[in-house]
Amino acid sequence: MGKLKLALYWAMACGGCDVAVIDTHEKILDIAAAADILFWPVAMDFKYHDVEAMPDKHIDVCLFNGGIRNSENEHVAHLLRAKSKVMVAFGACAQLGGIPGLANEKKRQDILDYVYHGSPSTVGRKGLYPQEVTHVPEGELELPKFYDAVMALDQVIDVDYYVPGCPPEPARIMEVVLAIVTGNLPPKGAVVGALDKALCDTCPRKREEKKVRAFHRPHEVLFDTERCFLEQGLICMGPATRGGCSDPPRCIRSNMPCRGCYGPPPDVKDQGAKMLSAIGSIIDSQDPEEIEKIIGQIVDPLGTFYRFGLPGSALRKKRFS
Amino acid sequence: MKKISIDPITRLEGHGKIEIFLNDQGDVENAYFQVPELRGFEVFCQGRPVEELPRIVPRICGV
Repeated sequence: MGKLKLALYWAMACGGCDVAVIDTHEKILDIAAAADILFWPVAMDFKYHDVEAMPDKHIDVCLFNGGIRNSENEHVAHLLRAKSKVMVAFGACAQLGGIPGLANEKKRQDILDYVYHGSPSTVGRKGLYPQEVTHVPEGELELPKFYDAVMALDQVIDVDYYVPGCPPEPARIMEVVLAIVTGNLPPKGAVVGALDKALCDTCPRKREEKKVRAFHRPHEVLFDTERCFLEQGLICMGPATRGGCSDPPRCIRSNMPCRGCYGPPPDVKDQGAKMLSAIGSIIDSQDPEEIEKIIGQIVDPLGTFYRFGLPGSALRKKRFS
Repeated sequence: MKKISIDPITRLEGHGKIEIFLNDQGDVENAYFQVPELRGFEVFCQGRPVEELPRIVPRICGV
């Protein structure tokens, strides 16, 4: 087998996934030794027309990060799908929609209004919005269509594998690339570069008794840094999150509760629903009024339970007009 | 008028493209730089707990 032909792309992304690839440090040399990189906008100067000129299925593996926010993202997703044998949704945005997917709670026009007119730091000419086509004296300029909602990659194209994480853990990226190089891949549709268990199963914190009578925000209590966050009434997404970010888990190691960037654990379709179920089982009360009061102490449940996956969840799966 | 598109702009964080218009003599008549991306952090951060923002806004730019 010749050298692997690799492409990396960012759609609606922050660049953190690309940096995670570079954060493999000297192991990036192993990737370079095993693969020729044919397209990687953050690091190399290839254009869209270079990809368009490739025969179909020319690329062996495409690591696609970022969700689908506009027509350019979707167009490039279709283009790279046609040119790639294996398509990998790389990182939380491509897998589930990611943090920018929180915009699905908002209306498209409200976003445009605030960003181009309402925000105090923006001086916008009244009534001026980005246009898909703008006529200038020399000709026409085009911008992509800003969609009504963010979509995960598999809501627009067929995806072969998923690498979770915001961003994926660099050590795991090497495992994924090596698995691809050696052809040692699991069945299509599998999550790779992560564990087949929940984050709680990898957590070193002490667990005593999960009986919660109140939920707290971090500044409201002094908490035990050795003990399970949830048992102390601090929302931690561990029960509803796939393990594998690192050992011990990255955020827990930094004394921060998990926020769920590795997506739902195996056999769970909806991360937020799983978290609701977990919370339901730990509240120590039988009194409906008291239960309601305790639940009410959870601030921003949507933005916490679906922090990284609102577009890919049961709540916002449909494509908008 | 001939148009040269540089799309995407590479080796930087974010998305951008440049359209260059050439006149009949082949000289640059005008050039436009466009940013084709928007995500709306300004809007969807509103109403979220302040202690969570240090974990949300780093995703504006991860480079």
